[in-house]
Amino acid sequence: MNTSLALVVAAAGMLLGIMTGRTAARIWLITTLVGVVAAATAALSVLNGADWEWRSGFTVGGELLHLRLDGISALFMMLLCVVGGAGSVYGSEYWSEIEHPRSARSGRLWWSMLVLSMGLVLVMSNGLHFLIAWELFALSAYFLITLDRQRSEVRAAGWLYLAASHTGTLCLFAFFTSLAAQTGSWEFGPMRDQAALSPLFWLALVGFGLKAGLFPLHIWLPSAHANAPSHVSAILSGVAIKLGIYGLVRFSGWLPMPENAGTVVAILGVVSAVLGVAFALGQHDMKRLLAYHSVENIGIILIGLGFAMISVEHGNAAWGSLALAGGLLHVWNHGLFKALLFFGAGSVLHATGTREMSRLGGLWRTMPWTAGLFGLGAVAICGLPPLNGFVSEWLVYLGLFDATILHESSAWEAIPAAIALGVTGGLALACFIKVCGIVFLGAPRSEAAAHAHECGKSMRSAMCLLAGCCVAIGLAPIVFWPAIARAASTWHPAWKVVQAPESLAPLGRVHVALAVLAITAAALLWRRVKHQGLKRELTWDCGYAKPSARMQYTVGSFAGIITEWFAFILRPVRHMHRPRGPLPHDASFEEHTPETVLERVVAPFANLIMRVSLIARRLQHGHVQAYVFYVLIGLAALAAIVIAGGGK
Amino acid sequence: MNHNLNLLLDVAMGLNLVSLACSRLQTLIRVMALQGVILGLMPLVMEHDLDWRFALIALATVFGKGMVIPLLLRRAMRKAHTDRELEPFIGFVPSLLLGAGGTIAALAMVNQLPLLPEHTGSVLVPAALATILTGFILLIGRAKAISQACGYLILENGIYVFGLLLLKAMPILVEAGVLLDITVSVFIISIVVDRIQTVFDSLDTRHLTTLRE
Repeated sequence: MNTSLALVVAAAGMLLGIMTGRTAARIWLITTLVGVVAAATAALSVLNGADWEWRSGFTVGGELLHLRLDGISALFMMLLCVVGGAGSVYGSEYWSEIEHPRSARSGRLWWSMLVLSMGLVLVMSNGLHFLIAWELFALSAYFLITLDRQRSEVRAAGWLYLAASHTGTLCLFAFFTSLAAQTGSWEFGPMRDQAALSPLFWLALVGFGLKAGLFPLHIWLPSAHANAPSHVSAILSGVAIKLGIYGLVRFSGWLPMPENAGTVVAILGVVSAVLGVAFALGQHDMKRLLAYHSVENIGIILIGLGFAMISVEHGNAAWGSLALAGGLLHVWNHGLFKALLFFGAGSVLHATGTREMSRLGGLWRTMPWTAGLFGLGAVAICGLPPLNGFVSEWLVYLGLFDATILHESSAWEAIPAAIALGVTGGLALACFIKVCGIVFLGAPRSEAAAHAHECGKSMRSAMCLLAGCCVAIGLAPIVFWPAIARAASTWHPAWKVVQAPESLAPLGRVHVALAVLAITAAALLWRRVKHQGLKRELTWDCGYAKPSARMQYTVGSFAGIITEWFAFILRPVRHMHRPRGPLPHDASFEEHTPETVLERVVAPFANLIMRVSLIARRLQHGHVQAYVFYVLIGLAALAAIVIAGGGK
Repeated sequence: MNHNLNLLLDVAMGLNLVSLACSRLQTLIRVMALQGVILGLMPLVMEHDLDWRFALIALATVFGKGMVIPLLLRRAMRKAHTDRELEPFIGFVPSLLLGAGGTIAALAMVNQLPLLPEHTGSVLVPAALATILTGFILLIGRAKAISQACGYLILENGIYVFGLLLLKAMPILVEAGVLLDITVSVFIISIVVDRIQTVFDSLDTRHLTTLRE
């Protein structure tokens, strides 16, 4: 199918989805899936062939429409299609009419709107239309986050998202208008030769960085991801924040870079990666924890991008293309496994009604599918072989190692970055051992967890699709390499052909061998259990003969040591009431990790603004007469200006 | 011709002062209606060759400002059982003084303004300014919703006088549209007045402050 036709079908499918979303759930699902599949074929044909471009003969908002699908946007489009399609299937069961009669209809409508607007962001090649699509995307995400708006924390999360999102959009407005003012046109494309444009990159970094959620700008992300319905969290974390990355990749490739921009991006990446995972370790809420892992993974992607930018400063070294390829592949991978993990968390929430990990436990017995698929996602996100997370992180590592070996002192940044990446991987592993151990293993910690039930077919099939993608990229990375190489060569024209590292094909074979080994080991264990039967025994119990489910490791105790290391920034709040006396009673311990950046930095600043605005607000007192008086003063002032100006 | 126009404008300015001085709402509406009729006559005396379009504008203005709008306001007033402005923000004497001062200032200032040569002889611009100012004084200085509606209409009369400067350039459609807008807005005001009366049991707009956020 040719690209234009596929995109028209995709847009038509999405529009039909928007129209039928409120009334016909089944038709909505079919049209949305058709649209998504059509968009995926378009993206595929671009990744395998030539760029697609279209200019309209008519104007929209005074500008000619200019659509473009090239290697980079097709890469993101592909991710959008996979997660968008899986999410529609998942959402049709997870947020069904029966359980959410108030919001299921609008949920479908805004879902189609969100997928469509994100697709528009990816194809728009005119600053004005890009901003319109961007705003549409931000608003549809807002309405999806606040689907469950009867709960006050959902409303608060929605407001925070909206405020942060619009701060970012403000920066983008400044960015695109200055770009248009300096180039004389709203259209954008490669403009590396205009050196005067380079300072604009900082505006783009803040604007897109707010959406991507890199470390100090991530304030909206944890609460929005935690409080949104799970399929919405999945697309927010899997695709929406990637559009921030898309913007950064796009404009770091097209604009001339200011000096040290690559280093700054890499440092932001390192900080996001390490602190993201540290904050994740401190969380007790399953979805909030996953949200902080998004910050971490955005950090990993930015390390890849940052080193690609550094390599351009060093004369287009080949290691830069490896780092960029790793970052871009991680965009896909994180989108896939994070959506899978959010679907898994949603399945747990659906079954038990709580996101508090300290109230869960032992779920693998009642929810084997969810437990298995979540476990698979956890292995992938920790960057362990043989899954996809390892492949992309390994490519970034390769880039960093080559930079160290080939450039010795001039690319010194690669050494600390590689170490930080290793630390991040280790901490992520600790964090997911915590999650899987607390939630799926052990004994149920509450009634709700004891009576959990497995999720239905739609939710399970959506998770299986994503898990299948994770396995496929892990076992056969060489198949997916051409798409990544195509995007990387689009980013920088000097890299006409990006060579696959020699070890990529063997890596796939090693992964297959590892997978076979793991499956064989599991089968042997299973056989042994079948053969000899299971035997239940008490664990080591400190001599206490009758242990209860409350005597298991808790969320806080599991990660206690590591959160201590990061106490300087996490600042965990602990309320301890120690047992006293020979026959103690009444002892308690409570711990939570605050949103340090939000509560210590942003909130005081916002309070200051509020105090100043309250003074101005005294002018607004409700006396109509005085309002008319303000109008009169305004008119008189205008007249005075005109008369004074008329004298010239 | 210009002499006649100036005469009419002088009368309109005089009516401005009357509207500022009267406390009975009935009188205020009557003064406003009279001003509307005088305004409606202006296009007729302005031009040498009487076009059917000017006649139509004049007719519509006299009918709208002189009859329909006062009727609507009087009905709202009767429904709300009020007939007097009791506690104005700006008293009757101070507002009269303000209005008079404003009129004198407008007349004095007219030579400073960059006007077209054909307008220099007439008092059209100062009359417009003075009428707008009167409208503002009524809007700011009165508490009752109906007085404020009258203030709004007098303000609009001032804008109409300004519009006379452009009578030739302004298509009749625009003028008709403006007139229709005003009639509709007065219609709405009379409904709002009724609502204020039922909710607050008074027409004092000071009570509206309780509605603020």
